[in-house]
Amino acid sequence: MLAVGVSAAALAAGSYLVVRHNLLADSVDTAERQARQNLAIVPTYIQDGPTALLEAYQRGGGNFQTAGVNRGRPFSSTFQVNLRQVPADVRRLVKKGELAYARKTVAGTHYLVVGGSAGPNTELYYFFSEQDLQRELGQLRTILLAGVGILMLVAAFVGALLARSTLLPVARASDAARSLAEGLLETRLPVEGRDEFGVWAQSFNEMAAALEAKISALSAAQARERRFTADVAHELRTPLTALVGEASLLAEHIESMPLESRRPAELLIADVGRLRRLVEDLMEISRFDAARESVQAESVDLGSLARATVRARGWDGQVRLEAEDVVISSDPRRLEGIVANLVGNALDHGGREVSVRVGRDGPSAFVEVSDDGPGIAAEHLPHLFERFYKADPARSGAGTGLGLAIAQENARLLGGRIEVWSEVGKGTRFTLRL
Amino acid sequence: MDAHVLLVEDDASIREVATLGLEQAGFRVTASGDGRDGLARFRQGPFDLVVLDVMLPSLDGFEVCKEIRRESQTPIVMLTARSELHDVVVGLELGADDYVTKPFELPELVARIKAVLRRSTAGPPEGTIAIHDLEIDPGSFSVRRGGEDVPLTATEFRLLLELARRPKQVFTRELLLDLVWNYDYLGDSRLVDVAVQRLRAKIEEDPKQPKLIHTVRGVGYRLNPE
Repeated sequence: MLAVGVSAAALAAGSYLVVRHNLLADSVDTAERQARQNLAIVPTYIQDGPTALLEAYQRGGGNFQTAGVNRGRPFSSTFQVNLRQVPADVRRLVKKGELAYARKTVAGTHYLVVGGSAGPNTELYYFFSEQDLQRELGQLRTILLAGVGILMLVAAFVGALLARSTLLPVARASDAARSLAEGLLETRLPVEGRDEFGVWAQSFNEMAAALEAKISALSAAQARERRFTADVAHELRTPLTALVGEASLLAEHIESMPLESRRPAELLIADVGRLRRLVEDLMEISRFDAARESVQAESVDLGSLARATVRARGWDGQVRLEAEDVVISSDPRRLEGIVANLVGNALDHGGREVSVRVGRDGPSAFVEVSDDGPGIAAEHLPHLFERFYKADPARSGAGTGLGLAIAQENARLLGGRIEVWSEVGKGTRFTLRL
Repeated sequence: MDAHVLLVEDDASIREVATLGLEQAGFRVTASGDGRDGLARFRQGPFDLVVLDVMLPSLDGFEVCKEIRRESQTPIVMLTARSELHDVVVGLELGADDYVTKPFELPELVARIKAVLRRSTAGPPEGTIAIHDLEIDPGSFSVRRGGEDVPLTATEFRLLLELARRPKQVFTRELLLDLVWNYDYLGDSRLVDVAVQRLRAKIEEDPKQPKLIHTVRGVGYRLNPE
């Protein structure tokens, strides 16, 4: 589009300059011819004074005005022109006996001034008006400029039309790519025509179809895997129930056991407990995966809930509790699970000082569990809520590896989230926000 | 105490260890590994309480529960999987008094059984309470409406009694869980909700528009004779 504009402008400017040059040169030729004729009759009339000469010119009907000087006395045919208006270099040349010309504007009128000498004491200057010529050139300029302008407009319009028909498929494709990225895997482009865009749209559709197939295969695999986990947990439950029962019977009789079997029995009981926690956590997380969890909301005082949670687990002596009255509508059993998990973690991994703070922060309620333990390295923080993620592989004993994942799922189910802040050497702070 | 418990559980290990545990806790236990057989044994009874697994061969726990409720108000404790969220509600709606989730520890089961049995044991003698068209007699565990017996389970009876002792007072679910079910800490509020539904179905003229037991939204329940 720009190229069209520039070449049109260059072409117009070129033609204008050629036309102007020719017109001006013609004008000079004509004027020169007239001037020579004028000069030729000067000797005949000049003895009677300049007036006779000027009258002779007027009779001849010349379309020029005259100024001159005879024996030191200047004269002119009209008030409009006089000797002083003749450019100096023209006079200089005329005095040397040559014919000379120049262009000069006098009182808004363009003149071509042609001068020559008739004998040693007589100079004559003819003022030929070029007003018409200049007007024509002006008109030509206007026409050419308007033409270029119109051409530019047309070019712009055509260009925009072209661009639109080219860009429309591109815009559509970019919309399609965006909706694909947003997860609308069934997005396809209309295939129109056999041009590059048609071919391209077809490739895009093939890619989208492949992606859709891949993702649905992946999610089917994931669903299978999750179902498998749920099934395993489910199948484990029956033998585990027997094990848990047996362990609790054993626990009651541990005092009456022979000394050498007492320790293995204690270990057995503890490990059955660990297995139970693991299976229960697995069952709980697979319930989240199956979206089979529901919230039983009632009015809950977070402060008393935190206090009861700590007391029920015998943590009274180890935890400092600072609680405001914060009454919200939520599911107390889930809240209890979250708080117990966070406090339990802090006691397991943290230092001597574990404190729980319950309060309100603007529209949201919070439970904050902090410790002054060794802290968690920054690279582990983003993964803490992943299943079976262990920040310290050496410390695999205490938890099931699912506690924080379950706590976070619970928090989400209650419309909240758990945040973590930690610094090595300073401590860790988990905040449940609701 | 020597209460007689019928245990219906298909897994041999669980059955054996639960039998041992209950016996050590002072109960007499009859065990069965099959739904039909369990129901037959129940009819030979009498039993003070039934512990009933959900997944049973020949006749599942829900069916057994339904059959038992058809002919008796004997307390029932269901053994359910916590992953089967729905099971808990179904069991309660069919008239189970309480539930224990698998895997459970024996002291947990024993504690639940004792709590349920306590509901059907008479306390100090009290006078009959008359409310609306109901006559509640704590001494004989009976409720009569217009002279006719209304059959209530021990849990439903306790619930009605607690509400009727202090009419117009609002009871939170938490308080009812403590008073009726002996959960001193975070019981399952569905126990209360389902029991209230069952009770309304038995004592209200129109259970959908209760005139006796009112729901106090977000808080709990209140007995309000009009």
